[in-house]
Amino acid sequence: MSLTFLVPLFLLGVAGIAVPVVLHLTRRQRKQVVMFPSLMFLEMIPFQEQRRRRIQHWLLLSLRALALALLAVAFARPFFDDSELTGAGAGGPHEVVVLLDRSYSMAIGSQWDRAVREARAVSDGLGPLDRASLVVFSQGAHVLLRSTSDPARFRGALDTVSVGSGTTRYGPALKVAQTILEESRLPSGRVVLVSDFQRVGWTGDEGVRLPAGSEVVPVVVRDEIGENIQVTDVALLRQSSSGRERVTPTARVARRGGGGPAEVSLALELDGQEIQTRSVRLGADGAASVAFAPFTLSVPHTRGTVRVPADDIEADDARHFVVSPGRATSVVIVHGARANQDASLYLRRALETSDEGRFRVRTRRGDGLRPTDLQDTDVLILNDARVDGASAELLRGFVEGGGGVLVVLGESASWPASATDLLPGIVGPVQDRTDSRGGRLGFIEYGHPVFEVFQGPRSGDFSGARFFRARGFNAADSAQIVARFNDGSVAMAEVRLGRGRVLVWTSTLDAYWNDLALQPVFLPFAHRVSDYLSGKADVVPWFTAGQVLNLADPGALEAAGLASPEAAGIAESQEQVVLAPSGGSVRIAAMEGPRYVALEERGFYVIRPPGVDPERPFTIAVNVDLSESSREVLDPSELVAQVTAPMVDAPAGPSFEAVELRREDQERRQSLWRYLLVGAFALLLLETVLSNWVSRRTVGTPGAATG
Amino acid sequence: MAAHARARADASGGRFLDPTVLARIENLELLARTVVDGFLNGLHRSPYLGFSLDFAEHRPYMPGDDIRRIDWSLFGRTDRHYIKLFEAETNANFVVLLDVSRSLSYTSHSVSKLDYARYLAAALTFFSHRQRDRVGLVTFDHEIVDYVPPSMKHMETVLHVLDRAEARRAGALAAPMLTIAERLRRKGILVLISDFYEEVDAIMSQVLPLRGRGHDLIVFHVLDPAELEFPFDEASGFEDLETGEQIPVIPGRLREDYRRLVQRHVAELDQRFSSNMVDYRVLDTSQPLDLALFAYLSARERLSRIR
Repeated sequence: MSLTFLVPLFLLGVAGIAVPVVLHLTRRQRKQVVMFPSLMFLEMIPFQEQRRRRIQHWLLLSLRALALALLAVAFARPFFDDSELTGAGAGGPHEVVVLLDRSYSMAIGSQWDRAVREARAVSDGLGPLDRASLVVFSQGAHVLLRSTSDPARFRGALDTVSVGSGTTRYGPALKVAQTILEESRLPSGRVVLVSDFQRVGWTGDEGVRLPAGSEVVPVVVRDEIGENIQVTDVALLRQSSSGRERVTPTARVARRGGGGPAEVSLALELDGQEIQTRSVRLGADGAASVAFAPFTLSVPHTRGTVRVPADDIEADDARHFVVSPGRATSVVIVHGARANQDASLYLRRALETSDEGRFRVRTRRGDGLRPTDLQDTDVLILNDARVDGASAELLRGFVEGGGGVLVVLGESASWPASATDLLPGIVGPVQDRTDSRGGRLGFIEYGHPVFEVFQGPRSGDFSGARFFRARGFNAADSAQIVARFNDGSVAMAEVRLGRGRVLVWTSTLDAYWNDLALQPVFLPFAHRVSDYLSGKADVVPWFTAGQVLNLADPGALEAAGLASPEAAGIAESQEQVVLAPSGGSVRIAAMEGPRYVALEERGFYVIRPPGVDPERPFTIAVNVDLSESSREVLDPSELVAQVTAPMVDAPAGPSFEAVELRREDQERRQSLWRYLLVGAFALLLLETVLSNWVSRRTVGTPGAATG
Repeated sequence: MAAHARARADASGGRFLDPTVLARIENLELLARTVVDGFLNGLHRSPYLGFSLDFAEHRPYMPGDDIRRIDWSLFGRTDRHYIKLFEAETNANFVVLLDVSRSLSYTSHSVSKLDYARYLAAALTFFSHRQRDRVGLVTFDHEIVDYVPPSMKHMETVLHVLDRAEARRAGALAAPMLTIAERLRRKGILVLISDFYEEVDAIMSQVLPLRGRGHDLIVFHVLDPAELEFPFDEASGFEDLETGEQIPVIPGRLREDYRRLVQRHVAELDQRFSSNMVDYRVLDTSQPLDLALFAYLSARERLSRIR
């Protein structure tokens, strides 16, 4: 065993010791020499003190030099070369990557404990030259430890891992392993995949190809379960009556496996309190819907959970949701003074027909706009109305501030020339098609949010409506044509202005110029138009584990259940604290660009400003992806065959790289540099103390000269 | 006193006595003439300073002569201008003994001690030559470097030797003083200019024999202001200009001791020289030359009275 250095080049740093000595000498001899006629008188002055100080100075100099030497040697990474290890690890050391599945299905039985034991066994079995990486994965992969030869560190990292709420996806984890093996300088690689091998985690087209010669060792930890009862969905039906909003939750419960029929009880919890229970009888692989009694929704961010008794897979035994009182969309219909008396009849009736009270409709007859028409208004419908310049300017401010306008062009409708940019084109004369028995809608942009819901088969038929008259419309280049008649003329066009939007319907919405109002599709069409113009997003009652939420996106926050002003406030606020269901908290710092919150745990996330504890904080529900509950098994050999390349014969005997690595490994294990650094700092500390002491003594001594 | 002298020199146009101004004049004769004329102008022809002269002869006035030297009584009698010529009262030997050891090369400002000593020697020589003395020069360090025997004709030689004098070697008074004492047998006025970096007893034992041989001795101790004040601040190595020896010094701590030693050295020299009828003056090279000239004239006057 001999002392050697991993980076001997740093030993040149020992030459740094000469620096203070040279400085000391040069400063004395060159820089600070004063030529003087005679030293006769100076030599008459005794300076015995000078001699003594010189000796002390050299002592300090020695301490500094020794500290510098220790630093240089520490950076040279010394170690004792142990020749006994030379032959170990025949065939070369391995780069071992342990992929540990932490999807929520791993919580079944003793799967997780066994998986951890298997991973620990891998680290215990590492050779002295092997290196191991620990990667945990569910739908994403996270490298906990990269290429260490220290089993203690590996075990320490392993102790920090627990089962998550994600779903199994082998692709990302294997790609991480591929990267680690490709970047490794060790001659052979091995991937140890510890999982319950669910079919849903592997599609075969992930495009993973491990480096040639790499070995995949599948470790199957799988417990069989008898049955799994899960809450698969919760529908929330809202109804408004007497100004109050009531919600009726309907849960969908399913039973996977099992034998004969079994009674399953479901509990509804609101804000953590169980308020209702229901029972349903389910057969093997059966499913049922269970409706709970409606509850009054009065406060925002109400947390709800539908829960079944715990079984082997706990993660899918509960379905969380968050509901807030909805705000009715305020619609103002300005009915033109010269328009037909009942021109707005069908439209008003369609909007008022809503169980949930989604629309609050006001109607005023007369041309022009008043400021009161736009007060607390989400959607303004100008139904065959004449608009003057002043009204157009009012309208401009309304639209740019986020309001939505539907312009229904009838016979009396007119638009000022000064505000043509508010419309998606220029209104033309009336086009009469009564001679040809009317026209039909020939083109509909089903990708547009208004018509998106009618895209599917039997989702609404516009072809039955006949259009006898319409106003000609010359669309601008910036306009989006949403619908056209079968003769190619524009039926509906849109233009965006500021944060708002303007839709133009070139025919009427009554029964005079067309019969659309008499078609079944008219009601949902009127609702979709109003919803779209109001700019309100569809609120999702929960997210799925693994999704992310961008706190800087007001739209995403509105979809998560926040009202527009609150969403804008959070999106613009400086900093937020996110409390996870497990109790941990994360600060989302203020910065430009997106601010993502990873929703990785099932339960309720609370988002609030730091230092504030509001009574009803912004809350997000997160549920697991139910595909993970599937117990369909993947054959490990299938996966292994798809990701491994044919074996290439490795050169016999330890390679040059292996020798280099052995030296690094020994140095890392011994870590002598730590002791040397401590020694150097101790010496510097001693030097500081000593020099201070010398300085104090020198100050008190008269007639002394320096050396 | 130095400040007073400087003020007086400035007021009388004696700025030409300022060594920093003289340092710009390369021609030593012109320098000496400048010094002496400027100095004499500054004296306002004081009747109490100078030498009594005996009338020698008249000669016709020539353009360029000082009109004050016209004998107006003779003009009244002859209606012609005649200049009165006088013969100097003394015709003594005047020899400057100039130390050119290496320590004289030191300077902390624009004029080195050697330059200052050289100006002084030139001025005194010129002055004496005007008094019709025989002028000579001895330069020495640890031995005689140049020897110009005293003569009425050696004025220019003296100035030439002074002009090329250099401080190159270590100095010691013993050997040169002995040699000088042997060579200058005729009594005269000896002006010894040195920085006297030797023990007082040694200096006395080497210099006083000159006095013992009947010479009138005037001693100028030339020191740079830095040698008197020791104004250094930073801890440094101090190197002896002559021996090359170095010692580390913290000036702040040694300054008082150093000043005290220098003052004691000067005081002892003063006391010992005075007690032996030797005129002794310490000259600061930052001060005007008229101080030295005053000292010289005072000494000459005193010596003449004694004689």
